[in-house]
Amino acid sequence: MAESLGATPYPGTFARAWAKAVSGTSYLPMTQAQLETLLDRLTGQLAGALLTEPFDLRAGHRVGAELVAAHIASAEGLGRTVEVIQLRLVRDLGLVAEDVEDRMARLLAAVATGYARALRDRTLDEQESIRRAAMRARTQAERALRASEARFRHQATHDPLTGLPNRTLFTERLTAALNEPGRGAQRVGVCFLDLDRFKVVNDSLGHQIGDLLLVTVAERLRKAMGEHLVARLGGDEFVILVERTGGTDDMVAVAETALAAVRTPALVDGHELQISASIGIVERQVAGANPTDLMRAADSTLHWAKAAGGARWTLYDAERNQRELARYALSAAIPAALERGEFYLDYQPLTSLRDGSLVGVEALVRWRHPELGVLRPDSFIGLAEETGLIVQLGGWVLAEACREAEAWSAGGVAAPFVSVNLAVRQVHRPGLVQEVRALLRQTGLPPERLQLEITESTMMSTAEEPVRALRVLADLGVRIAIDDFGTGYSNLAYLRDLPVTELKVAGEFVAGLRSPSVGRTDERILASLVSLAHALDLTVTAEGVETAGQAERLRAIGCDAAQGWHFGRPAPADRILARIR
Amino acid sequence: MQRPDWAPDTIDIERPSVARMYDYYLGGSHNFAADRAAAQAMVAAVPEAPLMAQANRAFLRRAVHHLAEAGVRQFLDIGSGIPTVGNVHEIAQRLDPQSRVVYVDVDPVAVAHSREILAGNERAAVVQEDLRHPEAILAHPDVRKLLDLNQPVAVMVVAVLHFVPDDDRPAELLRTLRDALAPGSYLVLSQASKDGRSDDERAEAERVYRRTDNPLWIRDRAELTALFDGFELLDPGVVWVPQWRPDTPESAEDAERAVFMGGVGRLGG
Repeated sequence: MAESLGATPYPGTFARAWAKAVSGTSYLPMTQAQLETLLDRLTGQLAGALLTEPFDLRAGHRVGAELVAAHIASAEGLGRTVEVIQLRLVRDLGLVAEDVEDRMARLLAAVATGYARALRDRTLDEQESIRRAAMRARTQAERALRASEARFRHQATHDPLTGLPNRTLFTERLTAALNEPGRGAQRVGVCFLDLDRFKVVNDSLGHQIGDLLLVTVAERLRKAMGEHLVARLGGDEFVILVERTGGTDDMVAVAETALAAVRTPALVDGHELQISASIGIVERQVAGANPTDLMRAADSTLHWAKAAGGARWTLYDAERNQRELARYALSAAIPAALERGEFYLDYQPLTSLRDGSLVGVEALVRWRHPELGVLRPDSFIGLAEETGLIVQLGGWVLAEACREAEAWSAGGVAAPFVSVNLAVRQVHRPGLVQEVRALLRQTGLPPERLQLEITESTMMSTAEEPVRALRVLADLGVRIAIDDFGTGYSNLAYLRDLPVTELKVAGEFVAGLRSPSVGRTDERILASLVSLAHALDLTVTAEGVETAGQAERLRAIGCDAAQGWHFGRPAPADRILARIR
Repeated sequence: MQRPDWAPDTIDIERPSVARMYDYYLGGSHNFAADRAAAQAMVAAVPEAPLMAQANRAFLRRAVHHLAEAGVRQFLDIGSGIPTVGNVHEIAQRLDPQSRVVYVDVDPVAVAHSREILAGNERAAVVQEDLRHPEAILAHPDVRKLLDLNQPVAVMVVAVLHFVPDDDRPAELLRTLRDALAPGSYLVLSQASKDGRSDDERAEAERVYRRTDNPLWIRDRAELTALFDGFELLDPGVVWVPQWRPDTPESAEDAERAVFMGGVGRLGG
């Protein structure tokens, strides 16, 4: 009934035509020859199906599915396949069968059905696989995002050098400890630790060794502190957070442990380093505390421990802190007070011991503080010197004294000179000469009516500039006095270089004149100083003269002038001047 | 490409991916609605787009086949995309199961898909990296594990360089790769060419690809040839891809319709 299939040339004409028809309809991962071989095999199956009894549609389904499996899987691929089979299969293969047309129609239907089914399955599979891939990629991206967030969070909250929590994390934990009553903590404590003389290590051995030392200290503290959070705030500053403390004793124990951990000599890159630390301890009730205040308190306390020599812990002391705060507030208020004119001058008479006349007055600054009342210099001059504000304040005093003193000569009587204290910083400041010169010019005060009092310590520096400045001023005619002579440096060598006019002898020698036993020595010292001064052409003024007896003795010694309560307390200029009018 | 290196990918299937658009051109269903919409827009602008993809894919197949027959057993396919039919490892490992293949793509979905396809294949791997970071590709542990750079490697940069603008210095990227290769290695390169195309058509194609993360950067034959610097071009040089050693003479007809140009170069020495 059928012609032998074996007679068909390989690949047959039909398979080549089929291959040509479908190539280009979709991407085929094979050569044209491979395609022809495949289609030749399928041609055999189709021919077989057309001829075999009984007619089996499954052969058509299989061919359709195989085409898709071979990636001949586009709509055009199917269309051209149907076309080429319908037009050429029977003719090219010379097939002869009674019901061939009928069979052909059914076979093509089966091929199309098998093809469409396979293509649908393949499409669904591919859609599923790409969706799965997208989901997996998304999961992975989210995981990577979480990991990078976690990494970022860790970087943001830890110190890269030591791996310890940093200030951010510490502040978070401290804030949480203070704000979450649910954590059950009644009291909380902080040890603020700083290495003593760490800078020396850095400067002498280099930053690398310094860093290694910090790593060692961090590791020791972490081990020693167990559950307590140890953080590095920066530099050589560490902090230990102790939650749920029972009181200061607990904190002291923690601090002792920390100090001991640091104290053990550390071997760093071949250097044995003996280090110590200072700790400021703050321990307080959770209720009402806030992190900023607590850390500020810890910082101050650490400074106390440092100021006391280091290698120790110090407990926070609210009263001491209060005093320091008050001092700080006072010094901070000086510039504004100057602007508002809250300072004024009192003057204390310097009286001649020869004839009782008023030879000069010492200007003494007062602060009419809006809340604290009138403040004497000892409550703010020290602060001003520490902060450097003394330059501004001292400048004002000098200018004000010159301004007021100029007016005193109006009476025609020989007016007293005005004596103004100069702080070390003022003397060492370039521009002192110009400042004084300008003042004298502006006020019209004759130079010889201005006396500048400097302390011995002013001259301790080896700088030449101050000496030169004072010499220029002396050449102008300004009087130069050494204040508190005999109590400090007492190096007589500078008397040789300095253009000094007067020595002011410290009140403590004068005080000795009261008691007969000690008085003998003080009197001899005073007498020697006076004769020394006179030998150098200097005048001598005794300070702190409180009794007529002291005045009498000083006069007997030959002292030129005196100052003290006996001769008049500091008072406003007009009251002092009333004496000479 | 603006995102910093440490920032993880975001997966947005609403944004067309050039890898999945390519899959669509090839008749695959590994794509989403946004990919199909963009690909259809591309077909509207350049009706030959599917043909281009097929011709390029056939070029890849013939090139890999040729190199495998020439004895190359290591392949580094950069910009491998969605692993549709006729992958490098299928071709290479059919000839020698010992052949090693590393796929590289920047698209995380394409990489995830490739990973599934390659599961269980110990001589093939996929790496998520950008052609613009050749050092990172060369240093990747999977690349180091599978490929011995002291032996010849075929580096495939097929249908990807048109996503690398001149600002990213493609010649330098290729030089970095070349400098890491042993003598006897190969460079297989193809990309969309601007020869014989109207400005309108090109502009429209470029507009379509601006919707993706990878705008088009078309080059001409001279520019492509220059990118083989340091390699000896095998015959017939840089040609329309259907003309590169066609299976049959007929399949090279109307070759310029394929838009893609490509070639294969050998590293001498």
